[in-house]
Amino acid sequence: MAEIPDRKNMTTADILAFCRAEVASAQSSAPEAEPAAEASADEEAWEVAEESAQAEAPAAPAKKPTSTKDILAAARASAAGGGDKPAEKASAKPPTAKKGAPAAKPTSTKDILAAARASAAGGGDAPAAAAKPAAAKKKQQAAAPAAAGSGEKPSVKEMLAAFREERSAPAVAEDVPEGEKRPPKMPVPPRKPKKKPLPEPVAQDRRAFLAALLVIPSAFAAAWVMLATTTAAWGLALLRFALPNVLVEPPSKFKIGPPGDYDFGTVSTKWKAERGIWVVHTDRYKGKNVIVALSTVCTHLGCTPNWLEGEQKFKCPCHGSGFYVDGINFEGPAPRPLERHGIAVAADGMLEVDKSIKFQEEMGQWEDAKSYVEV
Amino acid sequence: MHGQDLTSEVIFGLGWLYLLLAVMNGIWTYRAYMAGPARHDHESGEKGHEGEHWEDGPSLAYTTVWSIISMGYFLVAVAHFSGTSDPEAFLIRMPEFVKSAVDRLADPALYFAGSIIAFVLVVVLRRYLINPTTAWVLLNISVVFMALSMTDYDFRQIVGKPDNVPIVSMLFIVGYFTWLYFRRAVDNDDRIAAGKSLYEQEDNDKVLVWPDLVYTELICMVALTALLVVWGIVLQAPLEEPASAVKTPNPSKAPWYFLGLQEMLVYYDPWMAGVVLPSIILVGLMALPYIDFNKRGNGYYSFNERKFAVLTFMFGFLPLWIGLIILGTFLRGPNWNFFGIYEPWDPHKLEVLNNVNLSEMFWEKMGRTPPVAPSGSGAGTQFLYIMLREWLGLVLVLAYLVILPPLLAVTIFRKFFARMGFIRFFVLANLLLFMACLPIKMLLRWSFNLKYIVAIPEYFFNI
Ligand code: FES
Repeated sequence: MAEIPDRKNMTTADILAFCRAEVASAQSSAPEAEPAAEASADEEAWEVAEESAQAEAPAAPAKKPTSTKDILAAARASAAGGGDKPAEKASAKPPTAKKGAPAAKPTSTKDILAAARASAAGGGDAPAAAAKPAAAKKKQQAAAPAAAGSGEKPSVKEMLAAFREERSAPAVAEDVPEGEKRPPKMPVPPRKPKKKPLPEPVAQDRRAFLAALLVIPSAFAAAWVMLATTTAAWGLALLRFALPNVLVEPPSKFKIGPPGDYDFGTVSTKWKAERGIWVVHTDRYKGKNVIVALSTVCTHLGCTPNWLEGEQKFKCPCHGSGFYVDGINFEGPAPRPLERHGIAVAADGMLEVDKSIKFQEEMGQWEDAKSYVEV
Repeated sequence: MHGQDLTSEVIFGLGWLYLLLAVMNGIWTYRAYMAGPARHDHESGEKGHEGEHWEDGPSLAYTTVWSIISMGYFLVAVAHFSGTSDPEAFLIRMPEFVKSAVDRLADPALYFAGSIIAFVLVVVLRRYLINPTTAWVLLNISVVFMALSMTDYDFRQIVGKPDNVPIVSMLFIVGYFTWLYFRRAVDNDDRIAAGKSLYEQEDNDKVLVWPDLVYTELICMVALTALLVVWGIVLQAPLEEPASAVKTPNPSKAPWYFLGLQEMLVYYDPWMAGVVLPSIILVGLMALPYIDFNKRGNGYYSFNERKFAVLTFMFGFLPLWIGLIILGTFLRGPNWNFFGIYEPWDPHKLEVLNNVNLSEMFWEKMGRTPPVAPSGSGAGTQFLYIMLREWLGLVLVLAYLVILPPLLAVTIFRKFFARMGFIRFFVLANLLLFMACLPIKMLLRWSFNLKYIVAIPEYFFNI
């Protein structure tokens, strides 16, 4: 421990790994090949750590065929089968290990754990041969300060994940006793040590959630029903409002005097203010000599045009629409002729205008005999 | 002459205006003198970048010229204040020949073309316009023009109306802010071109929220409230005759900020100009952040980096909105006829606006009357006849909305299309087309007296 230059920068994981490594090397009467295998696994672990760091960036291609798991498995396998093919492995590993990864790269807890476990297991099983615990120790010591110095520490979450993985790892390792049978073949995407929520809170959450599921729909339904009811009530009230008991407005049918009051070729504006009609006597429209009641509402946007005697046209002050004496639109934006109201000669010989009906030229309704009084 | 051209009060009021001009120019002269070669101390901070413009500070000649100008204003103001026994004989007024020349030019098409040309000139000549001296000269010219025009009775009737005061001030405010934008933008463009850091980074105006900003806001609030109170007392809102459902004032003008819409209504059916186009303007403005793919020019002024966005917005705002407000305020008179700014408002002015629908033109060209459904036919038959009557307009409108966007996508907007993707591009293209449809319809109205491209009054559907 004294060798570690900056203890403050050691993470729990680093310390843990370091201790384990020490214990393991102390126990081991490791074969000659072991330290090499371990070292290679170790180095590779560094490298993988670096690689997974790179792989976080989307552009970085995952070239290396190893994941932490694979290394773990391989290391464990090498430990277990250390007696069988130590030399082979030792020779097989270094090339991968020497892919230029500097040993000073920061590592994740997982990798360190893996390395440590590998060395520990190897220590127990491997046949004895020129054991060099010091070498392993040295290696670790060299690595630890570097890792510590580099300052990149695994987060608490990563550590938790690693521990959890470790818990389940032995089973995996037992299933695959021969490391060679599980060669690192595919580039496995780096693990994202993300939220693996703790089991207990999850259960609680779920229960609360289920309870909410039962309550919320009914609350929603109630809210909607209430909203719909209120809207419907308002709508009905509005409807009632549109049908008043008493209507204070002049009757839509009214007498405007005998036809003789309206000379040929004139526009009478005397009913404009009171009743909103012009009484027009003209034969401009299709040559029929008629008296009509024109509405004083502009067909563009509803302003009230003025009758200009000099120009013989109705002219709207709002956007400049113009209508001929017979009500046909000819200038400005008005899209349709002025509307006619119903007009007829009553029994007493007076002209009677019915404002409740209207006749639109563009619909061909001016042909209707109720829309004019022929003279 | 139907109104008194000049009264003593008007002359007196104009005297105050000239005095104000004299004071303004006096301050301007003083500033130039202080920044002059003798005492130039590179105060490049507060006033932007006078440094570039006045390399070594304004020359003595510059200062002298401006002092003479302010002196001139002062003398003119004195002339106004000293008054005259016969206001009609007062000499300082807009010359008649200028008035008649301006009035002869009064024509909506000319006005609109002029506003577009002015817009283009502002953009093209922005390097010259951002020069403070140029801007100052323009300001002087416009105020003097205003003052001289006030000597005309009809102009005074419009501009002097308390309703229209906000519009006049708006003109100057819009001018100032456009100028400010170009000044900052051109400055930043130069910096970017030279690889220097932006104005906003180098010389930022960050202040502490408390107390600096809050105090500033408080002072502004108090000052503005005071201004509004004084305004409300001094300039009474004009009361018109009691409202009547059967009598519409002539001319009947919308509130000033809606005059653009009212002008739009001259060319379009109410549902188009009153509902569809305004909604599209609003929705389009809301959609801007989603349409805009240009990440540059964010948080700082720039023109070169956002040419398309800036030009499109400015086109929609300056000629199409502000321009139409001016048109509606100053140039529309009784019966919504077009009047020159010095022209008496004659309600009997005769303007021949015999407008024709496209379908009518088409069938006349074909030498026959438009097809009409035989009377008494069913709704289906009538519909078919209407479609037959209006087929040309319908095809044109559909082509405009359906064929043009893809066409734009493979021609001038190819890069846009590639960068924006299908949906965003088509939203953009349609917004642009809808914006363009106003000037297009205006042109058609003025050149061909076209009323509606598609005219189906039967279904209240007119385009
Ligand atoms: S309302 Fe009459 S022209 Fe628009």
